[in-house]
Order: sequence, then structure tokens, then C-alpha cells
Amino acid sequence: MTRASLARLLLFAPLFAVLFVVPLAVAENAAPASQTVVHGLAPLPNDQKVPKAMLPPGSFEPDPGPSDVIYPTQHLTIRFNHAKHLGKDVGATCKTCHGAANRSTSVADSLLPKGEACDACHSTDHSDLTAVKAGDDASGQCAYCHEGYKAGDGNAVAELAVPRANMLFNHKAHVDRNIGCAQCHGAVDQLELATRDQLPRMPGCFTCHQMPDSASRGEAKSACETCHIRGDRGTTIKTMFASGTLLPPRWLHNSEHTPDFIERHKSVAADDSQYCANCHKEDFCTDCHDGRVRPRNIHPSDYLNMHAIEARMETQKCKSCHQEQSFCLDCHMRVGISESSPAADRQTARFHPPKATWSDPPVKPGFHSFEAERNLNQCVSCHTERDCIACHGALGVGAGFDPHTNGFVRGCATQFRRNPRPCYTCHEPSDGVLTQCMR
Amino acid sequence: MRRRQALSILTVVTLSGLTVSWPARAMDAEVTSETDGQFYDVRSPTGLVVDERRRLTTTLAVSLYNLLDAPLTDPNAPQLSFRARLRYDADYGTNADEVDPRYYATTFVPGLATPIVPGSYANEAVDLMYAYVEGRKFLHGWLGFKVGRQYVTDSLGWWSFDGGEAAVTTPYFFKAEVYGGLEERGGLPLSTSRFEADGIWRGNRSSFDPLPGCPGGPPGTCGQTGLSLYPAFQPADIAPAIGVALESTGITWIHGRLTYRRVYDTGSSNVTEFPNGLYAPAAYDGARISSEKIGYAVDASLPKVGGAKAGLVYDLYRAEFTSLYASIDAYVGNKVTVSADYDYYVPSFDGDSIWNFFAGEPTNDVALRANVDVNDQLSFSGSGNARIFTIPTSAFDPAGNGGVNCSSPPCYSPYTNYAGGGYFPSNGHPFDEGFNLSGRWKSGETRIAVRGAGNFGDEGDRVGGDISGERIIETRYVVSARAGVWQWDDKLRPDRSTTDFSYVLGAGYRFMPRGQGGVEWEQDVNGLVGDRFRVLATLKVAVGK
Repeated sequence: MTRASLARLLLFAPLFAVLFVVPLAVAENAAPASQTVVHGLAPLPNDQKVPKAMLPPGSFEPDPGPSDVIYPTQHLTIRFNHAKHLGKDVGATCKTCHGAANRSTSVADSLLPKGEACDACHSTDHSDLTAVKAGDDASGQCAYCHEGYKAGDGNAVAELAVPRANMLFNHKAHVDRNIGCAQCHGAVDQLELATRDQLPRMPGCFTCHQMPDSASRGEAKSACETCHIRGDRGTTIKTMFASGTLLPPRWLHNSEHTPDFIERHKSVAADDSQYCANCHKEDFCTDCHDGRVRPRNIHPSDYLNMHAIEARMETQKCKSCHQEQSFCLDCHMRVGISESSPAADRQTARFHPPKATWSDPPVKPGFHSFEAERNLNQCVSCHTERDCIACHGALGVGAGFDPHTNGFVRGCATQFRRNPRPCYTCHEPSDGVLTQCMR
Repeated sequence: MRRRQALSILTVVTLSGLTVSWPARAMDAEVTSETDGQFYDVRSPTGLVVDERRRLTTTLAVSLYNLLDAPLTDPNAPQLSFRARLRYDADYGTNADEVDPRYYATTFVPGLATPIVPGSYANEAVDLMYAYVEGRKFLHGWLGFKVGRQYVTDSLGWWSFDGGEAAVTTPYFFKAEVYGGLEERGGLPLSTSRFEADGIWRGNRSSFDPLPGCPGGPPGTCGQTGLSLYPAFQPADIAPAIGVALESTGITWIHGRLTYRRVYDTGSSNVTEFPNGLYAPAAYDGARISSEKIGYAVDASLPKVGGAKAGLVYDLYRAEFTSLYASIDAYVGNKVTVSADYDYYVPSFDGDSIWNFFAGEPTNDVALRANVDVNDQLSFSGSGNARIFTIPTSAFDPAGNGGVNCSSPPCYSPYTNYAGGGYFPSNGHPFDEGFNLSGRWKSGETRIAVRGAGNFGDEGDRVGGDISGERIIETRYVVSARAGVWQWDDKLRPDRSTTDFSYVLGAGYRFMPRGQGGVEWEQDVNGLVGDRFRVLATLKVAVGK
């Protein structure tokens, strides 16, 4: 990109902001026009923000609402004021309208009251839904509760859609344990219309669901499949729904699948043997960790020719997907850059820096032992043991170049006892030096 | 006669098994297959084609779930399942002589291929990625088990073995796990070397000894056997392994796993790695430690505050920590997470390897990260990190006797040309620095991602960025594109520095709900190799009952 085009871009950026962003922001923050308060259209009149104290336990501040995937979007066409009905004037309880909840064992059960539940007070007659009769007073008119109803619509009212939740839930089991409605749904008795926002939040479930997945204590297990639908294709839970894909929230194992999750997922997988498998099968891991096709989001552009630079800096990352001898060395031998490459393939061009830097004193950055100490894995990805032994063995041409670390002898007995094979690679069994490691 | 009778009985039993009517079960069966064809060249820095790759990889997986016919809505029901996946991986661009040991002195590359048919010399291999029967929630939820080839994932890494695992989940907030079997090792039937420790060049030497003949080989090489032929290439043998783990269960805000694993090397290992067999012994034989490690990982999180993770790996063979890491995440509001990471790493190798005894020093990484979820569709992440290298600058003293070395035999003589008599006079430039920026936007069937990254160090720099996108049109047509520009500076070999531009164009078609075919075209342009092209063809099919 030339400087001129960069300058042009910078010039257009503020213009873009003025034309698009500012109007959008103004529109979002515009004050609502004054209007007559109509109750029962939202949790609070005029769609005011519901205070956190009234929201279901586990809600955040500010509250983004419950999961769209678990609780698909609803289409509420009924105006209803819970606070009024549960207040002193009417004196209803949750059970008055939602008595079915006490017996419900499945989210497939409909827990909404039928129209007949309204008839006693509103003087309506919903007994025959094909010919509903309106009441005498204003509260008995169809439009009083059914949003959008107009005179002349006859028996047709807007359809109400409350899709079943994509989870398992047994209301009866919870009611039987004296778990009150508000313990999961919040202060619905102080709100008007109950919406998706009054459905339980997962952190709230974990208030109780902290028990191991073992039958000896059956109550409130924390295993995913306790509440989530079991996967039918090898995963513990089902994650794909028409309403979207289920993804872990930020606060669960700190495992939100952020754009950089690929860089940090190691610590999530290392900690919990089952956590990833709740949603992923092995194949998902093997695509990268034992894959045969280069993932471009990890290895960009002409990575085949450019990988040496990154490999020198952080070979340990390479190891998380590649075995150095079978993956790196094989290819390096084929293309002739390895010391062990077949004679006919070996390149005459020098791979390492010039001899004056690489193997002649003085020792400095760029010297081969300096580089090996910084990142030994990079050596191993190209060399076999004998390439090092040729100089660093205890006998022969390179006998003087000891590769061991400072203080090596102090701890070598443990290693010698458990596996003496590498010692014999450089030292003859009769080598007196070995006695230092035979304690 | 007896053989014929046995064969007849076997045939009858097999046919009976196939024709007998089994009780109907509500099990789920699934067969999946993924096939990738890749066509590209490997070029030298001068642009010369040094290797042609014509690769074909195909997998076939069979899964049977819910073998006990438990309802999906019962979270406590015992579950039994079977899963297996077989993979064929071949490179038809390989020259036959590269995998034919008769050409060992000129073009043969040991370990490049595991011939499927003995005597055939093709770069192809078949491996069984996994095949196991898994039971969960047996004995009223107490017992889980897995038998067969399986993966283990924990702080000791991602690992595979053939054997059995049993896990007991207790009501006391922990589960105990024990497993044992044989580590999956390259060179053994239906296996890859992906999961064995680094450091030992190992594989199938069965075709090496005796040599069937030496057409094309140099005079004097025919008839060489056993250890004298590529002695640095070690014979593969079974590797018994055992492991135990304790893991917390139940509590969701804190979780930890303590794990221990020991793997043995068995069989013969060439100790004299030069063809002339200069020294004795020529081979070491016997059971010995390949790796023995203990690891622990823990994480804790509070939904409205943040979280922390930490882990360690102690290598009992090397008698030192080889990995330590920790990270802290702070939730700043609903949309912003800021984090700090620390990572300590020491290279470790198979117990057979000499490199455990080399002076491989640790690296320490520190990083600061942040993530912003602008809304449900748009997220950004960014991080900056520094890698701190360590080089011993003290006097060379492997015997640990206060720096008095070479006063009396046996002694070591460090490189005599070090300035000032110290081992390394200077740590040099001790830091590498880097950053990472990434963003993602997704809406419906469209996904766009951007990424920028830079790494800067003494050995080289790389900096650049990518933008990629994918869109599914009318639920069946898939189009994708990617473009990137990267600058690579090779400071050890300045003539290898270049700027690379690449783009990828892809198109696919979903011919059934879980079946998709597609082709990708990639072009890389840079000053070293000129133009490189790559074609990737994929076919994924899954059918289930």
C-alpha cells in the first residue's frame, strides 16, 4: 500500500464515521417519545430496564439475557401484568395459572395457562377456541389482552410462539424439593410481562448443581447432560440447534471461544479430561493435532518455505502437533537439508549460518551451541543423535566438547539407573567417567 | 482334514451370525469419511522444485452409539458406544527409490513409509487412529471404562495408547482413573509415531535385514545387515505404559486433575550409530524408562470476577520441572476480558535419547491478552508477549565441584576459546517479542476473520496478516477466500528474507446434509521461490441411522 493510498484511507475514515456511525449512535440513544403508559407489554412499563434484584439468580449486570440457543426467540402476543395478578387486588399465585408446572417433567410440556383460566375474572368464554366470546367490560375485550387485535378480526388473534427450550428440565423434581419459582425465575411477582428474560440463567443453576456425577448422591449433579440434551453423535451434549450453536460462556472454565482461543485452549484441555469432549469428538482435535492438511489459520501463506524462522523461535509449539523425528526429520531428509539426508539428495548449499558464526569461536549469539541451548528442539527436528555424537561423544574427534549441563553429575545417577542407554551412546561401558553416575 | 473342518465350522458360524435376527435396538450408527487430495511442490530457496507432493489422505470411521438403548432424555442411564477410525495416507509424488531400502546408500529415507503390503515400496501408510468401546455411568454412575486404542488428554499432553482405562466417579468430589497398555508407536502395525516422545528416530526396520539386493546401490553395500544399515534409525518395539489420575468432579467453579504416567522402552536399541560399528556395545537391550512424568492442572473461575488457570509437569526421569504455566483472566464488564499469562518450558525427550543430557535451557514466556466481545457477531482479541531465553553464563562445571574441572581425570574440557574462562560470556539478546491481533465477525452463514501477528527475535522476524471469509449460500453452495501478506526476515541467513503474498479461493457444494465436496486453489508469491501453487480437493461424507 502506498503512502498516498494510506493517506486517502485515513481521510475517508472520519467521513465514514460521520456518515454511518454517528447517526446510528444518535438513533440508538434517542429519547423515547412521550406516550401513554400501557401495562403488560414488557417486564416493566415503557420497557424500562429490569433491576438486577428482580432478574433470575445468576444474571449479570448489565444483563445480556439468557442464551438464545437454549431459549429460542419467543413471539409474545399477549399483554399480561404479573404484578397485578399476583398482587393483593387479584391475589393469584403462580400455581393459579401455571399449576401444570408442579407436575411437569419435561420442557415439552406446555406450562402456559389456557384461555379458560382468564374467563372467571374477565367474563370471557374460551371454552370453544373456534368461537371465543368476549366479555362485557373493557377487560373482557379481545384487544385487552391480545396484542394487535382489531375490531373485525373475529376469532382470529395473533399467534403466540413460545418454543420449547433446548434442554432437559424437570419442574416437578424442583418443586418437590421446595424450590420456589422465584429461585429460578426471579421476582416475576413484581414484573408485568414475563419474557425470556425471566428464564433461568446457567450460573444460577450452579448455585445448587455442584454435585458429582455419581448415583450415590443423585441430587443437583453438575454434569452437562443433567440439563443439556444428550448428543446423538458421540458428544456428551447436543450443540447444534435451529436456534444456533451452543458455545461455552466466558465464565465456564474461562473457555469462551474467542478469536484467539486456538492460542490458549491448551490450558482448558489439560485441566479437565472430559470438558472438551462434552461438545467435540476426537476428530475435531485430530484435524490439527494429528492432521494431514495444513490449517491455514495456524500456518499462513507460504509456510512451507518460511517455517524455519518461526520454528527457531518457538519449536515447542510445533511439538504440540508434530513429532520431530517422523514429521520434521523425514521431510528435511527428503529435501536434502538434513545431515542424515541420503547422499544423492544432500544439498551442497549451506543450511546454517557461515562457519565463522556457526562453529568458530568466539561464542556468541548465532554460535551453534548458543542456539541449541536456547532452543534444543530446533536441532532435533533436523538431526539424528549421531550428528551430535560425531563431535560430542566421549571418544574420537570431538571428545573434548562436553554437552552436559552444569552440575550434571550430581543428578545423573537417577537417569543412569532408569535408562543407561543414552549414556552408552557416547561412553564405553568401561569409561571411568560413568562411575560418577553409578552411585 | 482338520483344517478343512475348522474352516467349515467357521464359515457356518459366520453365516449364522450374519443371518440370525437380532433384537431391534435404538442405537445410533454413523459412518463418516473424509478425503483430501493435495497437490503442491516443495521448492528450494532458489526456486528449484526439490519435492513433488501428490498426497491422498482418506479416513473411514464407524461409530455405534447408545448400544444399551437408553433414552436420550435420561442423564443417568448407562451408555455404551463403539468408535473406530481408519486412515490411509499416501504421497504418490514420492519416488519409489526413496522408500526402497535397496537404495539406502543413495536416496532411501528410513521411516518415510510403512509398506502396507510387504515387499511393496510406496510412500503410504494405514493407521488406526482410534478404536474403542466406551462405557459410561455403569454401576449406578460409578464406573466408566474404555477399551481399545484411545486418546488421553491432560497436562502431560495429547497421547494415544492401546489398552484399557477404568474410571471410578465417587460421590466425594473426585474421580480416580487408571489405565494401562501399549503406547502407540510408529513402525508398529496400524500406528503412527505422532504420540511417542521426541528425540529417537525410530521405525520399522524389518525390511532392512537382510537386504534383498542392491540394484542401483554403490558397490560394497549389498548384503549389509541389521545394525550396520542406518544404525541411527532405531527399531520400533512395544512400549508398555501405565497411568493413574485423580480428578475433581461436581464443583463447577474449581477443577483440577493430577496425573501420572510411566512409559517403558523395550527391545533392542542401537547404541553405536555409525555404520562401522566403532564402539561396543553395538546395541542395548532391556526394559527401560521412556518417560515418567507427573502433572497437575487446575482452573478456577467466578462468573462475575474472572478466573485463573495453572499447571505443571514434573519429569521424574530428568528430575526437574519441564513445564509450568499460569494465567489470570479478569472480566471487565460483560464484554471485555483482560488476562496475563506465564509459561515456562524445558525441552524433554524420550529416555533413550541423548538430548535429555544436553544443555537445553528453559524459556519463559510472559504475555498480556485482551478480548472484546463487541456484540454476538463481532469479537476482537489481542496479545503482546515476550519470550525470555536463558543461557548459562557461569563457569562450565558439569561435575559440580565448584568450577575446578580438569584438575584430575576423569575430567571435561570445555571449549577452550571462551572469553574470560566462563562458559558463555554473555546471555546475548535475551528476549524475543511478539504480538497477536485477531478479529471475527459472524452472521448467519457468513464468517469473516482477520489476523495479524508479529514475532521478533535474534534469529528472525515475521510479521503480517491474513483476512479470510466463508459464506454458505442457500444452505448448499460454499464459497471461501483468504488473502495475506507476510514479511519474513531470516537474520541467520539474510538471503532467505522475503515478503510473501498469498491468496486462496475455494468453492464447495453440500450435496447432502452432512456431505460436502470442494476445491481450493492457493497461490503464493514471494521473492524466494517465485510462484507456488497448491490445489486441495476435499470430500466429506457422513451417514447415520
